[in-house]
Amino acid sequence: MARAIHWERNEDPVGIWEHRGKVVLAGAGHSKNTDRRWDGVSMDRTLGAYVIEAARAAMDDAGISPEDVDGIVTSAGGQPAHMSLGSQWGPLRPFFDAPYDSEDGLTYVTAEWIQKQMNLPNVQYTNSHGETVWNLIGLAAQVVGDSRCEVCLVPYPNGNIEGRYHQNPSLEARGGAQWSNPWGWGLSGQGFVFDQYARKYGTNHERMAPFVVQEHANGLLWPYSYYAQHEPGPFTTEDYLNGRWIARDLSIFDCDRPVQAGACYIVTTAERAKDMKQQPVYILDHTESAFTPRSLVQTLDDTESWTDIQAKRSYAGSGLRPEDIDVFAPYDGFAVFTQYFLEAFGWRGVKRGEAHDFYADDITLKGPNPINSGGGNMGTGRMRTVFITDPMEQLQGRAGDRQVDIKAEVAVTIGVLPSNAAALAFSTSPD
Amino acid sequence: MAILLSFDIDGTLELGDPPGGVTIDMVRKAIDMGFIVGSCSDRPLSSQRRMWASLDIEPDFVASKHQLGLVRAQFDDADAYYHMGDRDTDESAAKENDFGFWWHTEAELEPWLELVNSD
Repeated sequence: MARAIHWERNEDPVGIWEHRGKVVLAGAGHSKNTDRRWDGVSMDRTLGAYVIEAARAAMDDAGISPEDVDGIVTSAGGQPAHMSLGSQWGPLRPFFDAPYDSEDGLTYVTAEWIQKQMNLPNVQYTNSHGETVWNLIGLAAQVVGDSRCEVCLVPYPNGNIEGRYHQNPSLEARGGAQWSNPWGWGLSGQGFVFDQYARKYGTNHERMAPFVVQEHANGLLWPYSYYAQHEPGPFTTEDYLNGRWIARDLSIFDCDRPVQAGACYIVTTAERAKDMKQQPVYILDHTESAFTPRSLVQTLDDTESWTDIQAKRSYAGSGLRPEDIDVFAPYDGFAVFTQYFLEAFGWRGVKRGEAHDFYADDITLKGPNPINSGGGNMGTGRMRTVFITDPMEQLQGRAGDRQVDIKAEVAVTIGVLPSNAAALAFSTSPD
Repeated sequence: MAILLSFDIDGTLELGDPPGGVTIDMVRKAIDMGFIVGSCSDRPLSSQRRMWASLDIEPDFVASKHQLGLVRAQFDDADAYYHMGDRDTDESAAKENDFGFWWHTEAELEPWLELVNSD
């Protein structure tokens, strides 16, 4: 298994990506079902089963056979920092007894497991150490560009199991965590940053409503959305405004709902894609960033500084300008993230402090500013993959009812956290 | 005696996600017996209304989990108030608003029937 390659583009100046326009997204596939969680028993609904289903769909989409695949780049647990799904849920519990005591194929899906289960005979390169889906596509693009493989399967599992996400069973905390953990994992911090934002720019939480409501509406048009499959009714402004606070200035409806699903992409060279079925989506660039707070907790200053650095890095790496971006998909795992990315990238001329004014304007799918046309995590569940699939389909003109009316030739997507992000730039043209 | 019953949905009612042990038949029976019945859940209000409509039940109220106090104010002439659910957030909301509280496993036994029988 390959691991130690320096693939990230995270040191300024990054310069234009050496493989700009020479690597493409050639196919996408999803598991048919998006479940609320795995029940721990049904072997046809494990993350492994869903990844296989998604991989087959992606290969069908691209028009390739198992013999064509020579690389697999995946994020085994779908989590940041290579963590397994099971390690992030609490209370921790054992799964199956030996000899079935491996999580591989259940809540953790390695490239080797996929290769074996799918009988992919020509795989030369495997890497299971990708992180969230933006980093994962960036890693795959880099290894294809570097000729480590030519036709790369890029599965992304993202699951949910019984228990409570990031519930920490520990009774003690050390260092900075002793101050923040009593208020809950991550959540209080995001509420704190939002509160700083609202005070600085004279806005409030209620002004988030148009954005979250629109994301839900968009998500209902994506067939793999949890909500489209299980809760197809509209989400309203009244719903949003009556959400329970998880932390001050962070409502339960600002938090994405963990779900169980698999997705897979085909990344290959522009040359090889000429023989494939779909119109290729050219990858213009990938850039990454990781930061740590200057104090005990993340602040608005940190957040704006980090996203500014990432945005400048992305523009420098792709050669794009804000006005070049047609389709923009900034992450919303907490809905409050999106405004920081939006303002940093300056899409549609939005400056610091202006996101809520932007949300109050026309952000509908058929309007001039269809941000997160796929619905984001708020509208689809915590899969994250709509941030790749929707821009891809928009550029290919096959987004169906979600197809935006504006020109869709260049897309930028970014996630996962302001503190740990990767940005991808896509185009209908290699130039 | 007017008694208000507030049902959490997920993990409590049989059609919740995950399903709980309180059946819709139990809810219908409570309504027929004259209890004031509604839902108090983290589900969006519109989702709660759709759920009741799909059952052809007109609840007396729907509310978010943190809004039990508003429910109490809306029905301030009731003689007793009970909420039932499967999470510590349910228990906290009940205590904060001076509701009696039954865990979902207790609610499966229809403890409200005892209130009537002992009346």
